[in-house]
Amino acid sequence: MEFLLNFIERTGAKAAGWWSTTYGIVSFLTDVLSTITRHTTWNRATLDTIAKQIYFTAVQILHIYIIYVMAISWVIITITLSTARNVGLFDAATEMIIRVLLLELLPFLTALLIALRSGSAINTEVALMKVNNELDALSHCKVEPMQFEFLPRIAGGVISVIGLTVLGSVLTTILAYLSIYGMSATGFSTFSTTIATVFSVNILLGLAVKCTFFGLAVTTLPMAAGIETPKKLFMVPVSVLRGMMRVFLALVLIEVLSLALKYI
Amino acid sequence: MLTESVNSLSDEQTALVSLDLPLRANLSARENVALIPLYQKHFDAAESSRQAQALLDQLGFGAISDKRDPDMNPSERFVTKLARALILKRPQLVIERPGAMLYDIPYPAFLRGLAFRIENGPAKWEVFDFDWNRPLYD
Repeated sequence: MEFLLNFIERTGAKAAGWWSTTYGIVSFLTDVLSTITRHTTWNRATLDTIAKQIYFTAVQILHIYIIYVMAISWVIITITLSTARNVGLFDAATEMIIRVLLLELLPFLTALLIALRSGSAINTEVALMKVNNELDALSHCKVEPMQFEFLPRIAGGVISVIGLTVLGSVLTTILAYLSIYGMSATGFSTFSTTIATVFSVNILLGLAVKCTFFGLAVTTLPMAAGIETPKKLFMVPVSVLRGMMRVFLALVLIEVLSLALKYI
Repeated sequence: MLTESVNSLSDEQTALVSLDLPLRANLSARENVALIPLYQKHFDAAESSRQAQALLDQLGFGAISDKRDPDMNPSERFVTKLARALILKRPQLVIERPGAMLYDIPYPAFLRGLAFRIENGPAKWEVFDFDWNRPLYD
């Protein structure tokens, strides 16, 4: 009997915790949306802070990102071309590379890189701001934390994920062409036709939506985890752990849903 | 009792200098103060920064404008908080438990010195301190 009671208690506590977390995230997203739609939000100060966030999130890691993308792309392109040649499907190699690398792997790896670098930093910073009362101090001064602290990071994250994915895709496309046709221009027509066939309007829209969701996931989830941190310093690492796990699960969920919508 | 008195103050009317309202740790003293004209009064960044620097200069602490919170000593941190409260231009200024923020100096004299430097400050200044510290102000 006692075991049953304990089980019910534990399940209830877990359900309540899950509900409270979901409510916190939804309520945070509602706040974000309401701040975005307010015209007073979009002043020079907010735009300057967004530009600063894009610099910290994307520009600062540009050289690392380029090396990372080139290395992964080169390995995947080489494996795909060699396998395609072995099984006699070399003609389909370009399309395979585009589908696997440009549509799936690059956006996911870009979001993962930004989550590891900026998402964890955002989570820690917001949690510390919460614990140290810095958010209360801003509210006392009538400087909205949402406008000053949160929105620029979200906008910066989304723009950075999209921007870096576009850059990575362009570099990978060039690398794919060079790997298949070398420096010769003879394959340009076939190659560009394949790209045009794969990148239909629907696919492009889907990719843009997926990157936007990736950007939202790597910024809003760590922030929401930071905000819900109890005002105890020792809870900051727990908050980062929870936030980053949620980001990882969200990224996987977005990727799986996008694949399911495309191929099933 | 002290906490209850502070909690009863209105945010609209009162600018509070308190241990519980820290500075933004990753911003300099000038940026912490400049946030108010920038976000609340919609001045541009250069003008907000100029106003913040002028206020720090007026308080005699212009040299700390580039320091961040962790690099400040208690007096510098207090003055930055005071400048942030003053730039809000609210009718009442409340300094809560100054002894908790200025623990290494004779703070009543320090507060008096700062009060003399402020022109066009709030109409009403109040210091909320523990009763047993009353003799320090005599």
